[in-house]
Amino acid sequence: MSKVVGIDLGTTNSLVACVKDGAPFVIRDASGDALVPSTVFIGGDGAVIVGREAQRRLLTASASTVYSVKRFMGQGIEDVHEDASLLPFGIGGDPGGVVRLSVAGQEFTPPEISAFVLRELKRRAEEYFREQGEFDFEIDRAVITVPAYFNDAQRTATRDAGRLAGLEVLRIINEPTAAALAYGMAERDRGTIAVYDFGGGTFDVSILRVEDGVFQVLSTNGDTHLGGDDIDALLTAEVRREIAGAALEDGNAEMIQVIRKAAIQAKWDLSSEEETELCVEPVVGIPEGYRRRITRADFERMIVPLVERTLGPCRQALTDAGLGPKDIEEVVLVGGSTRIPLVRRLVHELFDRKPHSDLNPDEVVALGAAVQADILVSGRREMLLLDVTPLSLGIETMGGVMSKIILRNSTIPASGREMFTSFADNQTAVDVHVLQGERELVADCRSLARFRLRGIPPMPAGMPRIEVHFQIDANGILSVSAKELRTAIEQTIEVKPSYGLTDEEVERMLIESFEHAETDVEARLLIEARNEAETVIHATEKSLRRPDFDQLVAETFEPGERERIGQALSEAKLALGGADRDLMLQKTEALNKATRQLAEVVMNRSVREALAGKNVRDV
Amino acid sequence: MTPEPIPVRSVSMLECRNCGAGSPVDKHFCQQCSRILALSRQGDYFSFLGLPRRLGVDSQDLERRFLDLSRKFHPDYFYNAPPAERLASLERSSYLNDAYRTLKNPSARIEYLLAVEGLPSVASDEGGVQVPPALLEEVFALNEELDEIRELRESGGETDALRSRLDAARTPIERKRDEHERVIRELGDRWDGEAGSPSGDRLATLTALREQLLERKYIDNLLATIDREAAGLGVS
Repeated sequence: MSKVVGIDLGTTNSLVACVKDGAPFVIRDASGDALVPSTVFIGGDGAVIVGREAQRRLLTASASTVYSVKRFMGQGIEDVHEDASLLPFGIGGDPGGVVRLSVAGQEFTPPEISAFVLRELKRRAEEYFREQGEFDFEIDRAVITVPAYFNDAQRTATRDAGRLAGLEVLRIINEPTAAALAYGMAERDRGTIAVYDFGGGTFDVSILRVEDGVFQVLSTNGDTHLGGDDIDALLTAEVRREIAGAALEDGNAEMIQVIRKAAIQAKWDLSSEEETELCVEPVVGIPEGYRRRITRADFERMIVPLVERTLGPCRQALTDAGLGPKDIEEVVLVGGSTRIPLVRRLVHELFDRKPHSDLNPDEVVALGAAVQADILVSGRREMLLLDVTPLSLGIETMGGVMSKIILRNSTIPASGREMFTSFADNQTAVDVHVLQGERELVADCRSLARFRLRGIPPMPAGMPRIEVHFQIDANGILSVSAKELRTAIEQTIEVKPSYGLTDEEVERMLIESFEHAETDVEARLLIEARNEAETVIHATEKSLRRPDFDQLVAETFEPGERERIGQALSEAKLALGGADRDLMLQKTEALNKATRQLAEVVMNRSVREALAGKNVRDV
Repeated sequence: MTPEPIPVRSVSMLECRNCGAGSPVDKHFCQQCSRILALSRQGDYFSFLGLPRRLGVDSQDLERRFLDLSRKFHPDYFYNAPPAERLASLERSSYLNDAYRTLKNPSARIEYLLAVEGLPSVASDEGGVQVPPALLEEVFALNEELDEIRELRESGGETDALRSRLDAARTPIERKRDEHERVIRELGDRWDGEAGSPSGDRLATLTALREQLLERKYIDNLLATIDREAAGLGVS
């Protein structure tokens, strides 16, 4: 069996984790570093560099380096103007369609960029397993986490990124829930907990009840555009204003990166120091560089409005769970931004309880994802996640009103159906407009998709009975079907378009990525051949070890057959040690053939043994 | 030799897609081969959870049943199963989650019972338009009072005084609501106690329950109207 991993695909940093002997751990590089910056450099020759090295290139090759791409996942160009103005790379795309980022003279969609990060994590994990001497180190399946407050388009974009990276996405799970899972594993806890997850680009809060291994999410809330990034941007903008005002209005990309780097360093320092020096290195536009003292109090005054924006969602989540702050027995902090003392103080005040931060807030989400991956593939049943959908789902009805079919905070999987009818005589088609959000008016909700149910026979207005059925799966991803009940005309769509990639686009991108990485394909084929060879060799050796093997030979084998099997086995083993795929396949097939009769005899024996002593009626 | 009897399967039986055996619809797994069964169109939330069709529900027992069943057929545990079983697990889990959410909430529980007993839904009734006869007096008085308060507000009446008049207007409506809550509880108990009674009596109980729900919905709308007025006065 190939390995499975859990991946925290973060705005700023990403991590990969795995479960071994029941315990989750994050995979580190040779220097002990678990964080892979979610930064991607794309060279003119198409070379892609991900992580620390890409981050270094931010300062020297800003136009070819992208970061914080998670903010653009599942978004349209009209959603991201604000973010676009803060980031140095070009952002485009057609209105009503998916965002496109221009990097190094090429255009990429956010899932493609995220796929580069995922591939790097996959590579890192495979390297780790190879170094551990694991024979089967290939990773083709993963659980990937998303902010709990991600909408359907954002979740789907994340799943597409996984596919583009050559990963089967076993499950999309919510970050705060993953954290609770890892935390619960470590603490063997039970009770009502709040997870406050303030990361690089997103904020989530989830209220959970933990009991007997069941992690039941009661409610969730958040803001998918609020995180450490915003703090960095605020501080960067402030420093730019201070340095020279108008002269820096259209500062170059390198300069912005140099200031941003200084701002981030100051932010980090102020989590442990009361005062620090913010130093901007000399760069084109600021030849002298720039230095200023900054106190924690200054910093807090600047960021308090941002941090306070997290409190509203916390109160709403409590209300939706039917609880008050006093009912929360534990508060768990997740995400790098919870290192900021002001954040801890405000959370402490809100829940009137000192928040927990025993586990590394950067790593806990990936650990939880690994635990969930392990549950899925191993069939272990001692733990179960019951998550909820963060936003209500519905369709547009007369007068531009949203009619909700599944309410927010419904446990998933969830389904819902509602009946609709036509409003004009002889109407033969109806448009179904799928929406997500809490507001009454369609204009205030997120448009997920539109589709048309055709072929309704002409009938007077109000006669057709159109049933719209919503199904949210365990990933929180929606599919919608509509059916005219009088004629049984049915249409099903997985809600995709509006701000997503079509299946054809994903396929095309996949093909392109394989063209760029033919060696990848060859390596994969070799691994598959190896797996198969190993399986057959293992089965043969198992049969040879049977205590009744000699008896079997005497009873059923033709002369020389035993030797033929031995020969085929040693040839297959020899081929397995090499790297010639064709030879491996050929020898595996030969061994398969040589052992066919043996396998049959052994199988019959096993069945007979299993049935021995049983009454025929029981069979 | 007598011919083998041809098995007759009633609509209350589900056929296992794996082995073809029949199981009652309130069973989740095939009794013969123990595979998860596809969700039937028969049955309801009560029978799905193994509960009698009663309005009195012990919330702890309900939660225990919900968690037990979640552990039996959550899609997490069918990841490697054949597609038909994966679909069955998805459908059964969705149905379970919907059932638990509905039966946990006392109002939703009554409305659901009315629906499975074949009464028209409370939501479909144009309850907001017609004043229920039992509430005529209160509605009349409230509307007069609200009109006066609005006039006073527009001519610059003192906010605190208006606020206390609104509070006073709330009291009789809230009293009505409490009364309805009590009657609804009583009717619920009566339904639960009537399990073996003639169906005519039981229908009468349900019809009365439905009447009460419609009135309560109307009362809730009245209270919401008062809240909106109060919000219109601004924060004191």
